[in-house]
Amino acid sequence: MHLLRTLPNYGLKLTSHFKQIENVTSKGSQQVSTPAAPLRVLLIDNNPERAQLVEEGLAEAAIVQTKSQVHGTELLNLIAANQPDVIIVDCNSPGRDSIESLRTVAQNNPKPIVMFVEEENPTGFQQAIEAGVSAYVVDGLTPKRVKPVIDVAIARFKVMNDLRSELKKTKDDLAARKVIEKAKGILMDKRGMTEEEAFIAMRTMSQERGIPLRDIAETVISVMSLLNE
Amino acid sequence: MKKNENVTIGFARLSDCASLAIAQERGLFDKYGLTVSLKRYKSWAAMRDGLASGVIDAANMLAPMVVASAAGIGPYPDLFTTACCTNQNGNAITVSASLFQNIQSISPETALRRPLSAHGLKHVVDVRRATGQPKLVFAHVYHYSMHAYLLRYWLASAGIDPDRDVELVVVPPSQMVDSLRSGLIDGYCVGEPWNNAAVLAGLGRTLITSAEIWSGHVEKVLAVRTEWAKDCSEVHLSIIKAILEAAAWIDHPQNRLTAAEVIASADYVDAPLDEIVSSLTGKNRQTGGNLRVDMPDFNVFHRYAANFPWQSQAKWILSQMVRWGQLDTKTNFNEVARAAFQPDIYRQAALELDISSPTIDNKIEGNYSHAWLLEEATSPIAMGCNQFIDGKLFNPDKIQEYLNTFPQVDPVTSSK
Repeated sequence: MHLLRTLPNYGLKLTSHFKQIENVTSKGSQQVSTPAAPLRVLLIDNNPERAQLVEEGLAEAAIVQTKSQVHGTELLNLIAANQPDVIIVDCNSPGRDSIESLRTVAQNNPKPIVMFVEEENPTGFQQAIEAGVSAYVVDGLTPKRVKPVIDVAIARFKVMNDLRSELKKTKDDLAARKVIEKAKGILMDKRGMTEEEAFIAMRTMSQERGIPLRDIAETVISVMSLLNE
Repeated sequence: MKKNENVTIGFARLSDCASLAIAQERGLFDKYGLTVSLKRYKSWAAMRDGLASGVIDAANMLAPMVVASAAGIGPYPDLFTTACCTNQNGNAITVSASLFQNIQSISPETALRRPLSAHGLKHVVDVRRATGQPKLVFAHVYHYSMHAYLLRYWLASAGIDPDRDVELVVVPPSQMVDSLRSGLIDGYCVGEPWNNAAVLAGLGRTLITSAEIWSGHVEKVLAVRTEWAKDCSEVHLSIIKAILEAAAWIDHPQNRLTAAEVIASADYVDAPLDEIVSSLTGKNRQTGGNLRVDMPDFNVFHRYAANFPWQSQAKWILSQMVRWGQLDTKTNFNEVARAAFQPDIYRQAALELDISSPTIDNKIEGNYSHAWLLEEATSPIAMGCNQFIDGKLFNPDKIQEYLNTFPQVDPVTSSK
């Protein structure tokens, strides 16, 4: 049976199976100097921009095949036909359940596939999950060979996450500014305040009540429209 | 006033999220001092990772995933436990309309009996092999799931070797109907509404429900991290109490339709009510290929002590893991079952709600073809039928003897 290790926080468990491979490879890597064939990576991601980013990052280190919207039997056939060494897949992809079935039932797939759990740096696994990456590797593959590929994937996923949150923040800021401008306009119009007075009034209220300025502005807008009607 | 505890609970787009949905919508979590966010997952692996890494505190998870963790298999050994089952039954096996036609024409007599045995399908499998046609492909939802074990059980009970005579694959529940439509798979075992959706679309026929393969089987459980259950025992008890109260409410027949309406909404299963409704009301369900019957126990949420985590049910799951080569025969069944299913925590929650709970941890599974009364309980509990399609009994103290009653086949595994 394939027993993988748990997350470090919950008690690290090395299986005899994995240990064995480690021992063999740490000895072997000293003697063998010929470079191994590039890893074959199957990248499954429904987000085309992120997939491109990851693919570019991996181009030098691996042969990458990228697929999106592939599920169930199609995915399993794809894996059987291409025999990838590493499968990198969005953490939330439903395809993961199909991939994980290749661990125990291997009659059609000569290479059993196991979830990648990082060896030396146990927090790496947690980071991968947080970045939204999950990776499956052919059982028995040297962790040392796989790690750089997975590190690149994690890094690129993170870049995409950062870009997204930045974009969201920019959009939110812009939306907030519009609301505040509108509320200021209403206060100036209906209450005869100057622009500065209107802003200070709302900001003071925001600070005193511990409510975001945007929410105060929204309240001003809705109350004023109520009073007008 | 004491501040509510914030809790996040994971669930999947399936009818058996009903207890969570009702606990949330009827304010029961709040009643027990919890502010709950529900997080919907598209993948069991993602839900498991979410629970393992602490993104969520609890999950409405496949019972065998918890048992697998307790047994030390999979990426998170000894990490998960449960003290509360969230439903019994609720799955079904559906095949494409053309495969059903095929079964009917090759073996008309088997298609008339209910529960429908897989002997008709066996004839089809034999004919296909003799004529050099490819193997039929059957899907289930995860390799540690009741769907996998009950599909395998049903196939094997008619002499079909699930590892050699057909091809078994894993397909996400919401992709089942599309996969059947495009001919990628010939049949599947899944929870609702994904059987009914294929039936209503005219794409498939439900041959048998999981309640007809093993009535009263555990399906989903409230999975938590074992450490968390110790550290946050009060919060854990509160979640269980809210679920018990919601489950009791759902099991009143007059509430089932309302429950169906709630879970059909965009926040939960997000599917048309007509696809969902029969999985909750049990009315006019298609099974046996051709039949329409009322099955009030198609999904059981609370009655028959359905929420009690029976050691014997955890052990049955372990027996199937051994049977199909996922787990070593040398496993200490008692120890693993105790780590996976924790009845004492359940009893504590039940006591606080004045709900009767069993005073025994194990029972003989498969022993009841009719309703019965469980006397070994804080007050007697009305129980439903509990039997296997092949009439076998599962004695949790004699697992090896039980396994010996099945024809010995070398399990196909990835072990070298």
